[in-house]
Amino acid sequence: MIDQTRRTFLGQTGLSLGSAALASLLSDQATAAPLNSLPHFAAKAKRVIFLCMSGGPSHLETFDYKPQLDKLNGKAMPTSFTEGQPIAQLQGQKLKVQGHLTKFNKYGQSGQVISDFLPHTAKLADDIAIVRSMVTEQINHDPAHTFMNTGTAISGRPSMGSWITYGLGSETKDLPGFVVLTSVGGRNPQPIASRQWSAGFLPSRHQGVEFNSAGDPVHYVSNPKGISPAQQSALVEAINKLDRKRNKLVVNPEIDTRIAAYEMAFRMQTSVPGLMDISKEPQRVLDLYGAKPGDGSYASNCLLARRLAERGVRFIQLYHRGWDHHGGLEKYMGICCGLTDRPTWALLTDLKERGMLEDTLVIWGGEFGRTPMFQGKGGAGRDHHIKGFSMWMAGGGVKGGTSYGETDELGYNAVKDVAHVRDLHATMLHQLGLHHDRFSYPFQGLDMKLTGVEKAKVIKGILS
Amino acid sequence: MLKKSFLFLALVQISWAEKHIDFNTDIRPILSDKCFFCHGPDSHEREADLRLDIPDGEDGAFADLGGYSAIVPGKPEDSEFILRINDKDDPMPPEKSHKSLKPEEIKLLTRWIAEGAKYSAPWAYTPPVKNPVPKIDQTDWPENWIDRFVFHKLGTEGLKPSPDADPVTLIRRLYFDLTGLPPTPEDVDAFVSGKQSLEKVVDELLASPHFGERMAMYWLDLVRYADTVGYHGDQDHNISPYRDYVIRAFNKNLPFDQFTREQLAGDLLKNPGKWQKVASGYNRLLQTTHEGGLQKKEYDAIYAADRVRNVSAVWMGATVGCAQCHDHKYDPYTIKDHYAMAAFFSDLHDTGFNGNSLPTSRPPEMKFYSDEEETKLAHIEKEMGALIGGEEVLNTLKKDAEIAKLKANKKRKPADDKKLAQLEKSFEQIVSSSKKDKWVKLLTEKNAIEKGGRWTMITSAKPHREMRILPRGNWQDDSGPVVTAAVPEFLGKVSTAKHATRLDLANWLTDPKNGSGGLTARVFANRFWYLYFGSGISRSLSDFGGQGEPPSNGPLLDNLAVAFYESGWDVKALVRLLVTSRAYRQSSLCPPELMERDPYNQLLARQSRYRLPAEVIRDNALALSQLLVDDQGGSSAKPYQPTGYYRHLNFPTRKYKHHTDPKQWRRGVYVHWQRQFLHPMLKAMDAPSREECTAERPRSNTPTAALVLLNDPTFIEAARALAYRIMKEGDAATDSRLDFAYQLVLSRLPDAEERAVMTGLLKATYEDSQKNPKFAETVLDVGQAPRPNDVDATELASWTAVARALLNLNETITRN
Repeated sequence: MIDQTRRTFLGQTGLSLGSAALASLLSDQATAAPLNSLPHFAAKAKRVIFLCMSGGPSHLETFDYKPQLDKLNGKAMPTSFTEGQPIAQLQGQKLKVQGHLTKFNKYGQSGQVISDFLPHTAKLADDIAIVRSMVTEQINHDPAHTFMNTGTAISGRPSMGSWITYGLGSETKDLPGFVVLTSVGGRNPQPIASRQWSAGFLPSRHQGVEFNSAGDPVHYVSNPKGISPAQQSALVEAINKLDRKRNKLVVNPEIDTRIAAYEMAFRMQTSVPGLMDISKEPQRVLDLYGAKPGDGSYASNCLLARRLAERGVRFIQLYHRGWDHHGGLEKYMGICCGLTDRPTWALLTDLKERGMLEDTLVIWGGEFGRTPMFQGKGGAGRDHHIKGFSMWMAGGGVKGGTSYGETDELGYNAVKDVAHVRDLHATMLHQLGLHHDRFSYPFQGLDMKLTGVEKAKVIKGILS
Repeated sequence: MLKKSFLFLALVQISWAEKHIDFNTDIRPILSDKCFFCHGPDSHEREADLRLDIPDGEDGAFADLGGYSAIVPGKPEDSEFILRINDKDDPMPPEKSHKSLKPEEIKLLTRWIAEGAKYSAPWAYTPPVKNPVPKIDQTDWPENWIDRFVFHKLGTEGLKPSPDADPVTLIRRLYFDLTGLPPTPEDVDAFVSGKQSLEKVVDELLASPHFGERMAMYWLDLVRYADTVGYHGDQDHNISPYRDYVIRAFNKNLPFDQFTREQLAGDLLKNPGKWQKVASGYNRLLQTTHEGGLQKKEYDAIYAADRVRNVSAVWMGATVGCAQCHDHKYDPYTIKDHYAMAAFFSDLHDTGFNGNSLPTSRPPEMKFYSDEEETKLAHIEKEMGALIGGEEVLNTLKKDAEIAKLKANKKRKPADDKKLAQLEKSFEQIVSSSKKDKWVKLLTEKNAIEKGGRWTMITSAKPHREMRILPRGNWQDDSGPVVTAAVPEFLGKVSTAKHATRLDLANWLTDPKNGSGGLTARVFANRFWYLYFGSGISRSLSDFGGQGEPPSNGPLLDNLAVAFYESGWDVKALVRLLVTSRAYRQSSLCPPELMERDPYNQLLARQSRYRLPAEVIRDNALALSQLLVDDQGGSSAKPYQPTGYYRHLNFPTRKYKHHTDPKQWRRGVYVHWQRQFLHPMLKAMDAPSREECTAERPRSNTPTAALVLLNDPTFIEAARALAYRIMKEGDAATDSRLDFAYQLVLSRLPDAEERAVMTGLLKATYEDSQKNPKFAETVLDVGQAPRPNDVDATELASWTAVARALLNLNETITRN
């Protein structure tokens, strides 16, 4: 009903949507509905699961095999590659080449090259499209994450999950449209700021909500200590009755919204703990992922991601925070891949079995890659690198078994079919039926877009 | 619904047809949005060497393009512009821009050209001038000249003002607006009974120390004040005295121009005092990174741009930040202007990576003592002087400290022992044993105060770094020309022979004659209006540019701006003027027709109603429950917070410890502001992370916020304390208790229906609690406020439910 009012209002007074105030005035329904004119065209994907490998996994130990790198192992890095380039922790140090710290093989019908660190992902070779020519613009973790999530390093802009729920609304009435889950394991975990799932200047109901594996799954979602469900229910009912009564006198649409918000809050008090409790999943499923109920692992989060997807959550973002391998790369790759490789495979397999992979876009990758050069903070490692790295996508209209783009012979610069972060965004929006150039929101006098002001392109080569 | 909307549209069109066309109000917004991207100020993107934002000059709209012109005043039929926008096959704006002109816009543009295509300078860059106050027929309505402007405007729109709000609503409005705290039932009675006049109430509230706290909530959003660095490890940094400075400045009614000078350039003033140095911490408020592997040069560029974004957003209401990579698309700011503004701040030398300490070290910092602490210290030092002779004190203290240090050293060498004996001897010569006790007592007090002193970041000027224009904002590109400090060229100049300073900038910003003081005054007059009327006269609180919305009542805004600077930038006088107007007193009730006609309340046919700000929602609950500790200033307070909320922080890892002393119940303005993980209560109620300037908070209404008010321990504890008050102060009968509760929380009595609902809730909770007595015991244990033992636990738990309901009511958290 409220939804109806909003649409009627917007549609017929000719006021353009977007001004924050109007959005706030009318934003008021608890669940976000899609904007009138969206999607722009038929969507291939209904939802996104973004598997963020925070810290920046090495492309040179996952998907990007360069024989020349092994040949030059230990030799000085040719300055033709590095001169005048941005550099992080290796500033002022002698740069030498670090060969691959693992072996690579070809897998599947497609023969995609994947490293030994990822035996389970290797089984998905024909399901995933690997982009080996990613580039980004920020070389430190925090701004690089912000760039990956919002398309700019300036704080205060909406993250992609917020953009998408803003545009397409949510398909669930009991859960937020944009959910974030985090896990740890590997090298000293990188901090991750809640800015990464902020709605920025979009209405705040589109901000990502973090679900916690320990304590309250969502802040304040449990009844206070000593309050029984019956008491809480009586309370919410009384509040809504009194608000409704008041509204007869003052006639304020905000109060209608508020009543809806309290109803949804109360529903969340049962739906969220229910969702987070994976103990009732069949043992077979738990084993598939390697999940143990309540352990907060990446494995459990992958299973939760599938449960969230099933319930209609639009954008699900998982962070695994151990990939910053300045040193001890072999050891820590072992740990990180050990914790994430199988669950990632299980998630895709499970989605496939349920027929959900075809309309779920799954994206895997970090905020940047790692240098072909050696760094030695406790055993061989690699520094941050932004001029070429790998990510993969699957499901939601992506052509499995595709290898896209290339870096140079040392894996330094992306040289063929370069894919910028904004191209990744454009592609993701495209699969959801959104044209990146037309999907905007007015803020400070500009038509803001996830893909920013520079030209972005849909990576057509990986689409079916 | 449909019919009404249709009527509304029709009405708008009629009024367009009849109304005189004003370039700034009617034409510029269309051209700016649809045309300036390619035919505007940005020389790099300009197509066909044509700009439509100015009429004259080689590229101007009237220029001869070889036998024809884009715009021929008075002759739409000869104007290429009109031909192109009407071109059926390839209309302007081009398809790739995803913009198109509506038929009514084309009509309006055509009429504008037919009537002579009169341009006027952008309203936001034209200094405000005093306009004659309109004469109106209804002379019993206006209280001051603001009202004449408002009434006149309403008249031209065929509207009338709303009746005054009832006195209860009005006094609550005044209290929340001016202090952020609720009135007591006594305050309400005095006003409603007429014992206390509105003017008197306003004077008292403006004199209240809580006025400064309420204003600071807004100011701290603008300047992005926070307790942590923001990037990467989000470590704490030392800055809380700056917050106290802001509160103090508003309370002391520091003239706004001086307030500006002290913040931008406190260190450059002659003989700056303690507070002026603290104020200069403004330049240090930006987000900084302390991530290993940061590139110093990159962050110098990031910080420079951040400072330009903030200073231009706060004082100019401008988006100069857009010119970091290219000339501004819609406003005359050039990329050179951006870097020239940055050069004002190039005498600040920010540190690079220097470890992950907590708090992080961000020199320069100074030790800060509050005024009370300073007085005490001076007193102690005087007594010490009296004890041993003034000039000896410093020497003696040094000796004392050395003795303590040597004594603490367990691995003393013989030479150390000898030195120790010598020191002790010479110490005893000055501080004889009879004076020793007194000395030690004074010293202990002194040490305690000094330990409590806070560090705070300040500004201290160093030689200016070289500032180059960075082509496309690229910090690795050194090919751009060097620039020196200057204000945006089209707005004028600061006159100085030397490298212009931050002080020159501050003076220029607040000088209505030789600088942009008039424009600054207008930016703030608009924001003060927003604070007391719910939205700005121009709704664009931080974009007074081509894309910003022109003011709905330009003459009123201009007169407010002039009044502001002519008063000597007297903030309290401006606030008093606004809140004693008749317009302010109107009822905020809004019939649906009016909502449809004027959804943003631009015409002021009513007051506005909206949810209270995050901090005020907290303060209100604490005040009603009498848990509130209303001390002023000090280090930041840490309320209860969900366990593990900081688990994503690292370098170093963080464990949040809420305050277990009365700091727990301090006002929201003092709550620890963790940029990356703002307290979930503040966040749910739309408080910003303060990474960037926020001139207007959203007002959301979400399930997340509902969960906070329902379940956050702060509100459970407050409800329990409020319940106890109700039981103790509201007599024994349920009805009289409900009367008391409603009077306290909502300043009114409940009606029969409300009574019935509350009584039902009380009963249901009581019966449920009786089934399981542990329920009551547990809920009463939430929070650290002492639990009363002179009332029945089950009964207290049941009244806690009533109190929770009251604190959750829409009416309780709404400013009406």
